Amino acid sequence: MSLGPFTRERSPLGVYLQYAVVCLFILAPILWMVEASFKAPTAVTAYPPHLLFSPTLENYATLFETTPFGQYALNSLIVAGGSTVLGLLLGVPAAFAVSYQAITWPATLTLAARMAPGTLFLLPWYIFFTALGLVGSHTVLVITHTVITMPLILWVMLPYFDGLPRDILEAARIDGCSPFHMFWRIALPLVKPGIVVATILAFVFSWNYFLFALVLSGFDSKTLIVAAFNFVGEGATNWGALMAAAVLIALPPLALSLLVQRWLVSGLTAGAVKG
Amino acid sequence: MGTMAFGRSGASTAGWTRRRARFAGTAHWLLVPALAFTLALVVFPFGYTFWLSLNDYQFGHAARFNFGENYAALLHDAVFWQGLGTTFFLYFLSLALQLVLGTYVGLLLNRRLHGQTVARTILMSPFMMPSVVIGMMWLVILDPSLGAANYILSLLGLPPSQWLASPGLVVPVIALIDTWQWTPFVALIVVGGLQALPIEPFEAAFIDGATRWQAFRYVTLPMLRPTLLTAAILRSVDLLRFFDIIYITTQGGPGNASTTLNIYAYRRGFEFFDIGYASAIMIALMALVAIVVLALMRLRRSL
Repeated sequence: MSLGPFTRERSPLGVYLQYAVVCLFILAPILWMVEASFKAPTAVTAYPPHLLFSPTLENYATLFETTPFGQYALNSLIVAGGSTVLGLLLGVPAAFAVSYQAITWPATLTLAARMAPGTLFLLPWYIFFTALGLVGSHTVLVITHTVITMPLILWVMLPYFDGLPRDILEAARIDGCSPFHMFWRIALPLVKPGIVVATILAFVFSWNYFLFALVLSGFDSKTLIVAAFNFVGEGATNWGALMAAAVLIALPPLALSLLVQRWLVSGLTAGAVKG
Repeated sequence: MGTMAFGRSGASTAGWTRRRARFAGTAHWLLVPALAFTLALVVFPFGYTFWLSLNDYQFGHAARFNFGENYAALLHDAVFWQGLGTTFFLYFLSLALQLVLGTYVGLLLNRRLHGQTVARTILMSPFMMPSVVIGMMWLVILDPSLGAANYILSLLGLPPSQWLASPGLVVPVIALIDTWQWTPFVALIVVGGLQALPIEPFEAAFIDGATRWQAFRYVTLPMLRPTLLTAAILRSVDLLRFFDIIYITTQGGPGNASTTLNIYAYRRGFEFFDIGYASAIMIALMALVAIVVLALMRLRRSL
């Protein structure tokens, strides 16, 4: 493996300095948000801003007292969890079939779906799901978020199925193993690491997704993401509580991404990389 | 399949294709649920949106087929043209910034120094955070009266800025927010590309006495082109349909200053319930995304 052209570094000090500047640029706004969430409400909007302050959990308390934050969190959990499970049920067998039969078009079709602007499907969805009386339910959010999770899972799983030793599957087939058994008993246990990566990525993407829930969620099914957007719309006078909400909403995806850090980029670029 | 640039590589499985062809057809049905789902939730709605785009249809009223009138109206709609301009301005500005900065950060990360893991963890944070959180965060930082950004300007002796509330600045500011969020993603793709490059051309270049800049300009950059195009394709898809951060921070304002085509389509559809016309804008946007992505894929294939 190549180390690239710039590994002949004479003095790494300058490089570390550049590292630090880049990291500071990325981290500064995030740290500012976290810091603001721990400031007393009056200190949050103080101008000039205070760098030193005594931390308080007041904003978090306000958030839970004045909004049904727990309910929103539960909604997000149901939607992200449900669409991840549905995405796995649909996407994993499909990935096995695509890999096993060496056909490409179904995978490409789901990829095209992921690339299209979400607004494109939203009007028909809105019309149909209104007719079915489903707008505002958890069900509609689970189903529509699966449009995001299923292609993601399919594409993340493909290389894992492609990497299986073909002799095993071939031997099983000769022994009279049906394709479903081959998938369920032989292939699936061997691709467990891929399932973990796919599950986590799908959950994070569904958790973060804004547009579908913006239109299709209702009072009882509002996800954290849409609730947070509404906080902003309500005038956003309480910055402290706003930042507390932002921190809490960002925590699950950040923590989960840490677990799959090594596979993150290949997961996010799956399908777009020329082989 | 070897010519397919957007999709999976067939090369590695080609040997198996022939062998598996003998018992083909057996596992196909495992695809049926996923395909039925895609058909119902994606293909059919797409067709329906196209049909709606050919109708005069306000929500609550009967639809009336008006064959192409919506598209004709688009051509005379100043907001549509402004939206097209905004979409492309935002697209080019963000893409250029992210490719240049992403290459720089990628080269930086490629030097195997200590702290790689920490740096990578920091780098992935922006693009794994929900767009709503990014929007809220920057709204507070960029607040014209109490935000930290204007305080920093005042420390530098500069006059305060209206940031997202300024019609002239709003699109560049959104481009900067997107650049903050996605440059790390481009950088991580670039690192992957760099680590797959062969070492020999660099050795040859240095033996021939190339400077570091020359090695970068004439060796690294040309070899990195497919990687950069992959990053460009991924960013193009997101940037041309830019929605979340704009809708969260400005809803397309002030005025129509940050109304991209996607925002315009959404507002016509879900705020004015002008469904036929909104569908026409969405189909136009979809065509735009498809043309740009296909062009970039062609370019990558020709490398």
